[in-house]
Amino acid sequence: MSAIELRNVTKTYLGTTTPAVNNLSLSIEEGSITTLLGPSGCGKSTTLRLIAGFERADAGSILLGGKVMSDTNKWIPPEKRGIGMVFQDYALFPHLNVFKNIGFGYKGNDKSRRIKEIINLVNLDGFEKRFPNELSGGQQQRVALGRALANRPLVVLLDEPFSNLDADLRVQMRIEVQQIIREAGATAIFVSHDQKDALAISDKIVVINNGAVQQIGSPRVIYQFPNNEFVAKFVGQTNILKGIIGKDQISAITDIGQIPCYHNHGHAPGTEVTISIRPDSFELDRSGSIEGTVLSHTYTGESIDVKVSVENSGNKTSILAHMHPEKIVQAGDKVRFRVLPNFVAVIKNE
Amino acid sequence: MSEKTNTGSNIRNNNHVSFSGFWLKIWRGNPPGPLLLFISTIIALLMTIPILYVVRQSIGASSSSWARLFNQRVPELLWNTLSLTFAVTAATLLIGVSLAWIVHRTDLPGRKHWKWLLATPLLIPPYIGAVTYIIIFGRSGWVRDLWNSNSFFVSNFGNYSLNIYSFLGVFFVLTMFTYPYIFLIVSAGIKKMNRNYEEAAKSLGLSSFQTFLKVNIPLLRPAIGAGAILVALYVLSDFGAIATLRYVTFTAAIYFQRASFDMASASILSILLIIITMVILSIESRTKKKSKYTQSSNSFKKPSILKLGKWKYPALIYTSLVFFVSVILPLLVLIYWTRIGISMGAIDNRFFGFAFNSLKVSSIAALVSMLLAIPVVYIKSRNPSIISSVIEKLSYMGYALPGVIVALGMIFVFNNHIQFIYGTYFMIILAFIIRFLPQSMQAIDSSLSQLSIRVDEAARVLGYPPWMIMFKVILPNIIPGVLAGGALVFVSAIKELPATLMLRPPGFDTLAVRIYFEANEAIYYLAAPAALLIVLVSVIPLKYMLSKY
Repeated sequence: MSAIELRNVTKTYLGTTTPAVNNLSLSIEEGSITTLLGPSGCGKSTTLRLIAGFERADAGSILLGGKVMSDTNKWIPPEKRGIGMVFQDYALFPHLNVFKNIGFGYKGNDKSRRIKEIINLVNLDGFEKRFPNELSGGQQQRVALGRALANRPLVVLLDEPFSNLDADLRVQMRIEVQQIIREAGATAIFVSHDQKDALAISDKIVVINNGAVQQIGSPRVIYQFPNNEFVAKFVGQTNILKGIIGKDQISAITDIGQIPCYHNHGHAPGTEVTISIRPDSFELDRSGSIEGTVLSHTYTGESIDVKVSVENSGNKTSILAHMHPEKIVQAGDKVRFRVLPNFVAVIKNE
Repeated sequence: MSEKTNTGSNIRNNNHVSFSGFWLKIWRGNPPGPLLLFISTIIALLMTIPILYVVRQSIGASSSSWARLFNQRVPELLWNTLSLTFAVTAATLLIGVSLAWIVHRTDLPGRKHWKWLLATPLLIPPYIGAVTYIIIFGRSGWVRDLWNSNSFFVSNFGNYSLNIYSFLGVFFVLTMFTYPYIFLIVSAGIKKMNRNYEEAAKSLGLSSFQTFLKVNIPLLRPAIGAGAILVALYVLSDFGAIATLRYVTFTAAIYFQRASFDMASASILSILLIIITMVILSIESRTKKKSKYTQSSNSFKKPSILKLGKWKYPALIYTSLVFFVSVILPLLVLIYWTRIGISMGAIDNRFFGFAFNSLKVSSIAALVSMLLAIPVVYIKSRNPSIISSVIEKLSYMGYALPGVIVALGMIFVFNNHIQFIYGTYFMIILAFIIRFLPQSMQAIDSSLSQLSIRVDEAARVLGYPPWMIMFKVILPNIIPGVLAGGALVFVSAIKELPATLMLRPPGFDTLAVRIYFEANEAIYYLAAPAALLIVLVSVIPLKYMLSKY
């Protein structure tokens, strides 16, 4: 059974004509961590608020744990949906201490035992008496997460939970939050516009743009084999090239030469396709089949982003490749590459 | 289910959807609970009924009374009111802006203390200020005694001839006790001003004085305008100082017409005053829209401090003089006469009776205002829509308009329809609520606006319906604002004069009323203790008032 199901959900905000969420369908497995990933204004936060019940869908239905929460005739208010939510600015109750914040929604008889359990889970032992304004950003985040988990909700919704943290803490909290959710055995939906957050924490990523799902898949699939140009460009850097499927069916012939391409949706030889090649799949190799001239290079510390102009039967194509940061390159250098097949994918022709 | 019933329910459903769709649209998808909407609508209507009644009465007045008033009284009243408003506004601008600049931008000695000292005249209600200056400059005042006992003055300039009961007297008193409005608002503007603009102007070759004229003054214009409008509205609405100094503007004329039971004239004069007030309010909303300068805050640098040099002493004398005239001297007068009063037994059971009456009506008004303000502020902040903003605007009507008009409207309403309350002190309480509820609303609003709506949502997903969130989350967090609002209403109510005078039942005297009558009959030793007490009580919300600007 899926913990959450959205069926053809559409939501248009008052005073606008284009829907924020457009005929969106989605099914989320129990116990999984899913990230709704997309640029700001793509409809991901609206989707989350629809699930929580803060917004009402114009069409379609939303089911939590198999029960209808919202459709054309029925609408259950947020307080009766049994969900947990972590807000972007945490929204801790300023007048309550950590202990009372976490216990705010818990109605069971074993209240204080449960709160202690949660405080232990989120590593806040000793902070029970502190008020939100006496906590660091990471601690506030953990209180917010603990508060959301205390009631053993069907599902926890997390709205951009890492966006208020600085870089170091962000990496640490990603790991910690993921761990806590796993330990609690909760089903979680994150909303994020940060691809690194999404790749790091998710079992499944749902890429959304213009209110519609672009691709659903594991982080690895999303990164290696994007479905379309939007996904390819939004999740990481990429090169988009036109090509024709080769006779062997596992390569594509492009302006920069023949490229191995296993992920090709079974297109017949001779089919015109668009392919996405991640910069990581270009590997410097003196005997490589692709030769080009370095146009420009940017040193990032982790790698060198090089722009290379490849000339093939009179056509000049410029590609982006990653080089190991210890290499030294200059504009005008001649370089040779070969292509690793794992980061090459045929994408939808758009 | 048969096909027929199915169709039927669909139709009903559609009707339902279209109305709720319309309702949702008005509330931007977030309608309030029916009880909350009902309560806040009732409150808003209560705030407006008296004023609507004044309007109705004036329309109902015979055309002959309109004509008679316009021929005889209106031109003079218009001139008196508008010239006084203009003169006081101009003078307070001069004093308020200059003091704000000197205190915040120069190395004036003791500037830290001047920042709040110069706001303290607000603690002295202008009618009490008027009483103190009658004691000083009046026909039997200190200055006359000094003058007449000095043969030099008498032989060279004749007998003492300064008349405090004049345009100049009213002008002087109102100016000295209202300039702090401008001082505070302009000070806030100066504190927010980013030094970068001045440095940019200097880098473009402007001199200090040119920078002041071309950069600072334009940047401060919104603050200066807001302050000027506040003072102008105050002068239009003031009754106490004006009546004490026996000057006649619209408010005083309305009061005396009503005292001689010429209700038609009173309502006609009221409608004119309402129109003048509305004109000034509309200027305010227009300037507010126009003059929203965005100052980049992320690169904020505190303004530099100018060295006064040889101007140090003139500046210090100027600041001290204003402070002496508007605070020290009035306080000295009150303390002097209070001592005489105490020695003559002024603090007797009668006095405690007046104090108890003041306390009673003011504290009930404050408590009720605290309660009533909460739903109105809540609906405006949590369920924004055209309806909630109309509710809020209506609630401000009694605050924006002079007290004499509110009182007049209440007399109409209660005398005609609800007589069992007419002639009880509940009339005064109700008038205080109508006049001062918005002070409580503002205080609560500033508390509530700090509480993100996400906090409400967090409580909802944790299983609490909206009405419970109100008690478990909202109220505990806005308590400081509610209390501050209550204190503001309490102090305003203690000081209130015109509505109390017009609505009190026979024999029900408050401190404010006694001050007015004793001062009128020059029994200063009875007026001074009550006045001093009011000034002391006013200190309560000072800290909050200062932080607000």
